[in-house]
Amino acid sequence: MTLLIQLLLNGLIVGLMGNLIALSFGMIYRTTKILLISLASTYTLSAYIFYSLYKTNFVLAVFASIVSASLFSFLTDFLIYLPLQKRNGSSGVLLISSIGLNLIIINAISMIYGNEIKMISLNFGKAFSFGSFTLTKMQVIEGVLSTVILGLIYIVFRTIKTFKAIHALGENPELVASLGFPSRKLRYIAFMFSSILISCVAIMNAVDLGIDPHSGMSIFLAGAVAVMVGGIDNSIGWVISAMCISLIQSGFIWKFSSQWNDAITFTALILILIFRPQGLFSQTKRYEE
Amino acid sequence: MNYVFHLIIMIEIYLILSYSLNLVMGYAGLMNLAAAAFYGIGAYAFSLLSMKLHFPFLAAFLFAFIFPAVTAYLISKPALKLKGDSFVLLTLGFQMIVFSILYNVISLTRGPYGIPGIPRPEIFYLRISQPWQYLLLISFLFSFIFLFLKKIYDSPYGLALKTIREDDKAAESLGKDSRKYLSQALIISAGISGMAGALFASYITYIDPTSFTLDESLFQLSILLLGGSGNLKGPFWGTLLIMLLPEALRMVGLPSSVAANLRQIIYGGLLIMIMFIRPQGLGGEYKIK
Repeated sequence: MTLLIQLLLNGLIVGLMGNLIALSFGMIYRTTKILLISLASTYTLSAYIFYSLYKTNFVLAVFASIVSASLFSFLTDFLIYLPLQKRNGSSGVLLISSIGLNLIIINAISMIYGNEIKMISLNFGKAFSFGSFTLTKMQVIEGVLSTVILGLIYIVFRTIKTFKAIHALGENPELVASLGFPSRKLRYIAFMFSSILISCVAIMNAVDLGIDPHSGMSIFLAGAVAVMVGGIDNSIGWVISAMCISLIQSGFIWKFSSQWNDAITFTALILILIFRPQGLFSQTKRYEE
Repeated sequence: MNYVFHLIIMIEIYLILSYSLNLVMGYAGLMNLAAAAFYGIGAYAFSLLSMKLHFPFLAAFLFAFIFPAVTAYLISKPALKLKGDSFVLLTLGFQMIVFSILYNVISLTRGPYGIPGIPRPEIFYLRISQPWQYLLLISFLFSFIFLFLKKIYDSPYGLALKTIREDDKAAESLGKDSRKYLSQALIISAGISGMAGALFASYITYIDPTSFTLDESLFQLSILLLGGSGNLKGPFWGTLLIMLLPEALRMVGLPSSVAANLRQIIYGGLLIMIMFIRPQGLGGEYKIK
């Protein structure tokens, strides 16, 4: 039982980070309908920029990592996705260009830094122990930071008009434009906001687990699964499903082994797609149904 | 000379994969991210039947068609209820589950250790061991599969698939059961991919799960996206381009570690460029939706 509670604690921390990943993917997917595989490269790029600079100046590294991720995200939309959508590029065309972009970035990083895992040597001191349970200081930092960011997102989504307009953009872009909202600008903000979230996760994961050029794909998949399971129209649903998936995975590690985590996650995705294609927490059916 | 034979053999294996994926993507209009899963099921079915149950080559080769075809039948029932991104994600989920099984069911597949010593083909007491003999065998099998697929492409069935691809409602109004047609296309394509897997396994004499990853699915998809799909020319040019590009880079004299990444970067750049200039690929006729 002690092991189960320890695993659930670990799962809770992973779930909190998963929430940020889900919000990052969901925001773009809901706003633009692009299955943005290049989110994986935003993640990787951000992590490697942090890795390159953290020895010089930690704060500068965090700042540079977040800014470069947002800039990269903005530029990809400005130069690739938006022009393609203007040419009536279908969702397939956008998906493929996203795959292409991901190939370029991942392999460029791999050429520069190599394929092996890079560890970041920051000493956070001893782990926290309470009773039979232990959390490393990095896990505590991840948990606290993710909770704070989630709280901020909740407030921002509820109070700032721009984010309400971005939400509406995903619902009815024509109406948003006809009401005089700058839809292009809103879209860029969505891209940049999403990349800030993924960048935060990239930095925390890089410090905790290290980085390799291919680590971004699993992050993209985690985000996509959480959004599809939660339901595309319900951001609270994304958060709940990301947390549930993480806790279920912890339960499986306890009962069986971590090697089946991917199979469990994707089986859940397939079952949801088949039996409740609108997701667990959405009322309406997805647009392509 | 043996290297040239090896290159032609690999080109022929990938031509089989491209033409089988062409049926699903180019003719039926389904973006399938599980191509490598079917390829892998065929390769493992062939290897295990040959080694554990001592099936003769032709019998194991036949089962390399049957196993993925049956799997495709089972997955097609729920998958074809979905469209667009949902279908893409379902095939992606299936790909990840198959990889997870190949990697983790060590008692059957030997997991990451792979299966070495897969027997070379032996047909009517003639053992195929030299590269030129293998080239003759694979050329014969490729010609047979190519003619079979060409017959399907040119048949009323192929035309019906194209109609469904363009407008499934219109096709149904003409009495075509679109799900049945699409399901059949998926089954045939999966079976033929499985045969390519068997040929790969018997030629290389070693397989492990890393040959059947999501990256491999994306690689096969890239061949069709670059060359084009929906006809005979596209997959041919795509396969030739993708398979010969590494040779061109080798001639330039780049070290192999850099060349591998550079090749992927070129593929990525070409994918984005093609989506802007000619979404139907260099020689294809189907414009991706």
